[in-house]
Amino acid sequence: MTLLHTKLKTTPKIEAGDFTHIVEYLLKMMEISVAEAEKRTGKNAVNMQETYTVYLIETRPVDAASEGTNPVPDSLWRRYSEFELLRNYLLVTYPFSVVPPLPEKRAEFVWHKLSADNMDPDFVERRRVGLENFLLRVASHPDLSSDKIFYSFLTEENGWKETVFETGFQAKADSRLKALNATFRVKNPDKRFAEMKHYGDELQSVISQLLRVRARAADRLYGVYKVHGNYGRVFSEWSAIEKEMGDGLQSAGHHMDAYAASVDDILEEEEHYADQLKEYLFYADALRAVCRKHELTQYELEMAAQDLTSKKQQREELATGTIRTFSLKGMTSKLFGQETPEQREAKLKMLETQIEEGEELVKERNAECEEFVKSAWVDIERFKEQKDHDLREALISYAIMQISMCKKGIQVWNNAKECFSKM
Amino acid sequence: MSAMSAGAPRSLASSGQKSIQDILHPLSAEESALNPGSADLILPNGTPVDTSSPASSSSLLNRLQLDDDLDGETRDLFVTVDDPKKHVSTMETYITYRVCTKVRGLSKICYFRPCDPLPEKFVMKGVVDRFSEEFVETRRKALDKFLKRVADHPVLSFNEHFNAFLSAKDLNKRQGLALLTKMGESVKYVTGGYKLRARPVEFAAMGDYLDLFTQKLGTIDRIAQRIIKEQSEFLMELREYGPVYSSWSSFEEDLHDPLEGVSGCVSNCSSALEELTEDMSEDFLPVLREYVLYIESMKNVLKKRDQVQAEYETKLEAVVFREDKKTPVPTDVEKCQDRVECFNADLKADWDRWENNKRQDFRQLLTGMADKNIQYYEKCLAAWESLIPVLQDKQEAEGETS
Repeated sequence: MTLLHTKLKTTPKIEAGDFTHIVEYLLKMMEISVAEAEKRTGKNAVNMQETYTVYLIETRPVDAASEGTNPVPDSLWRRYSEFELLRNYLLVTYPFSVVPPLPEKRAEFVWHKLSADNMDPDFVERRRVGLENFLLRVASHPDLSSDKIFYSFLTEENGWKETVFETGFQAKADSRLKALNATFRVKNPDKRFAEMKHYGDELQSVISQLLRVRARAADRLYGVYKVHGNYGRVFSEWSAIEKEMGDGLQSAGHHMDAYAASVDDILEEEEHYADQLKEYLFYADALRAVCRKHELTQYELEMAAQDLTSKKQQREELATGTIRTFSLKGMTSKLFGQETPEQREAKLKMLETQIEEGEELVKERNAECEEFVKSAWVDIERFKEQKDHDLREALISYAIMQISMCKKGIQVWNNAKECFSKM
Repeated sequence: MSAMSAGAPRSLASSGQKSIQDILHPLSAEESALNPGSADLILPNGTPVDTSSPASSSSLLNRLQLDDDLDGETRDLFVTVDDPKKHVSTMETYITYRVCTKVRGLSKICYFRPCDPLPEKFVMKGVVDRFSEEFVETRRKALDKFLKRVADHPVLSFNEHFNAFLSAKDLNKRQGLALLTKMGESVKYVTGGYKLRARPVEFAAMGDYLDLFTQKLGTIDRIAQRIIKEQSEFLMELREYGPVYSSWSSFEEDLHDPLEGVSGCVSNCSSALEELTEDMSEDFLPVLREYVLYIESMKNVLKKRDQVQAEYETKLEAVVFREDKKTPVPTDVEKCQDRVECFNADLKADWDRWENNKRQDFRQLLTGMADKNIQYYEKCLAAWESLIPVLQDKQEAEGETS
């Protein structure tokens, strides 16, 4: 790690690619964690007092740990907005990558007991976990992990923002964003990307629905468990007026209380499952963004090609004197007489240059397009595998959760049954 | 009753309010007592007498009839109500009835004018014709029956108010009403479920326990209903939740089987939940509610005991009262005392048996409830456990390649 450190300090103009021969994935070199969250107050951009949360990022070289020395990790504090800045930078700089998503900014799909308040400690805790997850995802991404801005995000507290802005990514961001928001028709998109985009749409829709229904079901489940707590109270009251039945009733009542209380842990665990689904809800968005970017490059290529074709056609018309396509020029020359040979010559020359430039542009754009398709498809395939693996894992842990819940239920009711049988 | 019910009474409108019979017949007590299931003891002023259960008054009356036969007591008091007359004057219009009393051969006649003590809420001004023939006749019959009943009653016939009523020459309406009301109170006292001042401690404890027990069962009923409601709503969500996994699986390749599996699992859990809810609705709640009725019958037995004791105490009082008139009937009182002691002994034995049954019944009911819940969770557990291998299916294969 010290080697990397010195390299950064002495050669600030290192490009991202330079790291790849030193370290494949950053994660293999260092441990990253978002260890804590804290509330801060300070003055914001408009000089108003505000409260916000900062997260402690800790990094530690992997080899140091294996040496057994266990040094104190390096650490720095970052706000959520800085994470957002990092992500936007990555989005612009690596348009062909499915960039990992951040945890949600505001709590959504909450069931009633969970707070939708950003300052709520449970929300903050879940966000801490989500931010750590984000960093680990980026650090294990073949392209993103070697980015120097990412590295300095993890290691340099001060001046990082300025460094990011210096890259000038925002200018690119603006133009790209505008293009992305505009509706344009692509004539020949890569079929695979079109399918991927459709898949992203469907994935987003189905996970949204799933999260919504799950939240409602969680609400109902909470009600079922909590009402059983009333049995606890009434059994206790009832036991007071009984002689022999009293003890059995009283202890059964305690088990009913325990049953009612158990739902809190159950639903907290389920929240973890919901978070896993949410990550892929947002990943679907990132996937769609890549497909849209492909469409954009394809569109730009098509535009350039279209422009070139029309220019070539104009040249042909001018050269042969035939007017195949309607043009105002053509009409006026018909009506008011043709232009002079000198004028025509000049025009032809101009067109020739334009065509040359156009051909260059088409070549460029074509290369861009091909490059994009190649890189993006690699990452999309990587993403597909990751998604299949992660979601399968999520389903397994969900099933395990349900199994645990069932076992707890059986245990509680068996305990109660024993008490009843002693009545 | 039939006088009124045959054909529409000329002056009555049906407006959904209480029928005239119910209001004006103090003797609807008798009618309903002989037909257990209705409980309309009504005072002349129209308010219903509180009988905790019709069974008590009928059984009491039955016992009284039995008494009559056993004792062979000859009736020496006859009362008849007849000759309704309408009197019209400039100031007012009213009806009188002739009350004939025969006490040991001596006849006596007085005229009784009832006021029309319809309670406010039942007054349908201008609609009820107090002077309609049917109405007048019905009232006559009612009064006749009432007075006859009181006259026949071994206890009530000695009631001071009744005697005052009979011996008065002409009663104006206020006096008449007052006397009738007081008599009505006595009727209530005997045929109703009054708590005695002196209910013995052990029986009072039983009564208190039954009241509290009823309360608790009521609460448990409400809780169970609430749980069923919440479970039903949870079930509704599950029925929407499962299919979402199915539709997700339709556009996945690798994840198709796992997602489909989860959908099936959720569906199985839904069915299990539905069974649990149905069982609670169809088995648990009805049994619980039946028990509330058993408790009611136990309460009635306690009340009956109270009445037996009350009868004994009243007779004892009456004997003391009678002693002045030199017509003692001591055997009657002794028999009552025996009856009380037998009843108490039987009741104690019954109670112990009842307690035992109750204990067993509730042990069974609650363990049954626990069992049903256990079965539900076991079904769900089986479903999820069988899903794990499906979810892990490709894991091994993937593990080898990575």
